[in-house]
Amino acid sequence: MKIFTLKDRELSLASKLLIIVLWIVLSRLIDNEIILPTLSSTVNGLGKIISNPEFFNILGFSILRSLLGFIVSLTIAIIMGILARLSKVLYSLMLPIVRFLSSTPTIAIIILALIWLNNEIVPLFVGFIMVFPILYETVLKSILNIDTKILEMARVYRVSKLNIIREIYLPSIFIGLCNILSSAMAINLKMVIAGEVLSQPKYAIGTNLQIKKIYLNTSGVFAWIIIILAIGKLYEYLMKGIVTCIKSRRYLNPMEN
Amino acid sequence: MYKIEKISKSYGKLRVLDNISLEFPKGKTTCILGPSGCGKTTFLNILAGLTPKDSGKLCGLEEDISYIFQEDRLIPWKNLRENLEFVLKGKMDKTRAQDLINEYLKLVDLEEYKYYYPKELSGGMRQRVNILRAFIYPSKVIIMDEPFKSLDINHKKVLMDFFISLREKGNKTCIMVTHDIDEAITLGHRIVIFSDKPTRVKRIVDIENYRDKIKLKEEISGELKKWDDSHPIRYLYLKTF
Repeated sequence: MKIFTLKDRELSLASKLLIIVLWIVLSRLIDNEIILPTLSSTVNGLGKIISNPEFFNILGFSILRSLLGFIVSLTIAIIMGILARLSKVLYSLMLPIVRFLSSTPTIAIIILALIWLNNEIVPLFVGFIMVFPILYETVLKSILNIDTKILEMARVYRVSKLNIIREIYLPSIFIGLCNILSSAMAINLKMVIAGEVLSQPKYAIGTNLQIKKIYLNTSGVFAWIIIILAIGKLYEYLMKGIVTCIKSRRYLNPMEN
Repeated sequence: MYKIEKISKSYGKLRVLDNISLEFPKGKTTCILGPSGCGKTTFLNILAGLTPKDSGKLCGLEEDISYIFQEDRLIPWKNLRENLEFVLKGKMDKTRAQDLINEYLKLVDLEEYKYYYPKELSGGMRQRVNILRAFIYPSKVIIMDEPFKSLDINHKKVLMDFFISLREKGNKTCIMVTHDIDEAITLGHRIVIFSDKPTRVKRIVDIENYRDKIKLKEEISGELKKWDDSHPIRYLYLKTF
């Protein structure tokens, strides 16, 4: 009964502690470092990874790839979404492409990317393929949800197309994207790392995960997972910060303008 | 004088507007009365260029016009000042726009609310901004589609007063559709009565020629009632409710 009186934050902390306790208990029971490493060996592995002089290069390149890929996906999704709204031909052309990208197994696309592209580009491309359809559809839905009466008002008052895009379309897109930016960024990070595992760029988290796997260094794999989770959390806070900052400027504190 | 000549519009086989020709004296307010569903809004939308006409000519109405909608149609993520700025961009420089916005907001007692967002204002205040937007926009003609429809009697009175003071300041030609005869008599210089579909001009009344407004109201009511009684379904509806 007491557990239901806990606040959300406390519940979340409790569930995290439960996972750690389960991990400790299971690793003791299994007693095999290759199948399930202990907490202490994972912490040791984490220490070794961080103390590696190339750690920040590896981390930096993976973060750079995921951020760059995400920004490219977001920009193209916004541009294509707006153009698809303005041109029915483009909308119809994009429909099968987006459906194809959404329903084709990711691994098939990764294999094709490995054949076609440079190793450094593959992770970016994989992230793009996964995230672009989500972002594009959100952008398109946000534009289609714009109140047509407001657009009609802008037409009557002969507001220029550029101003309509800048002051009606873009804010509507932003409002729609706010809800999915964090999750889209997390998916992008995961896919970039998956792409790195297969394409093996010089400095990459995915490449290091693959090396640890080859040497059956499971504690090293666990340590990298912890690092990836930390990056994911960092992205989440970053996105929340950006969204809150913009939202508060636009809505919550109007007197600040 | 703004003129329209032989405006017609059909939707499929349904003829909505049938050869409507009218003149709108400059600086005056023309109110259009007519039965529900006769195509008054379609008529306004044709004047505003929102709906294409089948045939006919609009003379002088090709220039910039303002439109006071039934709903406020304010952009929710923009505050009052930004909503007004939005329609003025590219029409005048920023300083001039700011001065004009401040001047007009003061005129309708909304100066202290200029940084408020539409959701933070009452329906009456939002509608005041809707009217203000039309007057602040550099146009010579204002089209109004039942702008006071959704307001209670007190707000309506306040807004009608604001409308009159803004009209005097702006010297604009107003074309207003309404259901309310009192509203038409109070605000209009001229009343145009439409018939039912296919809509034609049934009668034009120059209010300035009538001293006895009560008699005028009775006459217009009679004109509209004649139509109501001549339509069996509508007659039945009116008798029942």
